[in-house]
Amino acid sequence: MEEQIKEWPEPFSTTGDKTSTFDNLRDQVNAWLKEGKVDIFLGYKMVQGHPLPHCFTKENPDETDELIVGKARYSLEKMAANIAAQRPEIKIGLLVRDCNQRALNVLYVWNQLNPDQVETININCCPSRLKEHGDCSYLEPQPSGSYKKQVGIDNNMDVEVAEEFSQEERFHRWMYEFEKCIKCYGCRNICPVCFCQECSMEHNDLIATGTVPPEVPIFHLVRAVHMAGRCIDCGLCEDACPVDIPLRLLYRKVNQVVSDMFDYKTGMRADQSPFNILGDEVTLEPKPI
Amino acid sequence: MDYKIIPSICSYCGCGCGVLFQVLDGRLTGTLPMKTHPVNQGKLCIKGWNLHEHVISDKRLTSPMVKKDGQLQEASWDEAIRITADRLQAIIKDHGPDSVGVLVSAKITNEENYLAQKFARAVVGTNNVDHCARL
Ligand code: SF4
Ligand code: SF4
Ligand code: SF4
Repeated sequence: MEEQIKEWPEPFSTTGDKTSTFDNLRDQVNAWLKEGKVDIFLGYKMVQGHPLPHCFTKENPDETDELIVGKARYSLEKMAANIAAQRPEIKIGLLVRDCNQRALNVLYVWNQLNPDQVETININCCPSRLKEHGDCSYLEPQPSGSYKKQVGIDNNMDVEVAEEFSQEERFHRWMYEFEKCIKCYGCRNICPVCFCQECSMEHNDLIATGTVPPEVPIFHLVRAVHMAGRCIDCGLCEDACPVDIPLRLLYRKVNQVVSDMFDYKTGMRADQSPFNILGDEVTLEPKPI
Repeated sequence: MDYKIIPSICSYCGCGCGVLFQVLDGRLTGTLPMKTHPVNQGKLCIKGWNLHEHVISDKRLTSPMVKKDGQLQEASWDEAIRITADRLQAIIKDHGPDSVGVLVSAKITNEENYLAQKFARAVVGTNNVDHCARL
């Protein structure tokens, strides 16, 4: 645990503009619980040598001494949504990396969480071109092996590069990836923005259930279509996929279409999505292409 | 409000993937893969993902069942063990120990599997022991 703290490289900011150090993080959560700003706080704690998600409570506020940030990344916001579904009156605090925040925005938009009941503390995030050091399980994606590069789709590819293959080759490459699927539903289960009561991936009229292997490519394409305006590119699905299918790339393409059509950047803000408009009038015009 | 994350090991096969159980107000609500577990590294198969379901399933047996008058009926452990022992003894006496086979499972521990093969070989007297991983 000490190691975790020492490795912590930079200060993090809270919901406001305050900045703080690691000890302050614990003090702050402790104070939030004591003064009743939140009823519970979802963070991480070392348990049996593993950094695990942990629910700190106002009944036991001093446990916050054991709060850590944790290198492994779990969807704390999905846990928050599950808790809120049972106990909507509870005020929930949680640690958020950039991806958690984007997922929260989507959960707010789709009424899965009430922003008034949620308090966040921002922490350091995945590596990117802007941020070389990151503290999460999805550090730099693993380089793909040579066979995969030859016949499949490299998970590190950009959408544009993947589209340079001829249509036929692209199809074969994607089919190579999809055919590996073991139909574990891990991609859906782990996804912070998959919350439907009835999932199309388990709807017999769309996809045969109860048989393996899954029907490809429909199994993956149904999910891809559902990720339009929902996927916030956190990579948890790819992380959970036992056979390394470049799911994130697939959903990135879908959301590129959403962005081009509606000028909507999924998860960047908690405002109206073009996909959940209620009422009889359509006010969002598709952008001319 | 009580929300706990409980680390455990998947009991469905011999791989031993690390899982996390989500427990909300005393009720098991879900299973997650443990990201830092050396065996599964944050991945699970479909059985592991649904590990919590058999625990809370209505179909789960909560007591031994004994077939009486052609119907399975709830029974005490003592009664069930007595009947099983009597029937096994009768079958071994009439048809020999090789008329009995023992099927063990990846869902139980190594030690329990060891006991089961010991039971087959030393008590029943047969080498008919097999495992679901080979079926
Ligand atoms: S795959 Fe689609 S239908 Fe299923 S939970 Fe996700 S968004 Fe909902
Ligand atoms: S990257 Fe995967 S897990 Fe994350 S939001 Fe998109 S579909 Fe869900
Ligand atoms: S996580 Fe991978 S293997 Fe599992 S269902 Fe999704 S695509 Fe298929």
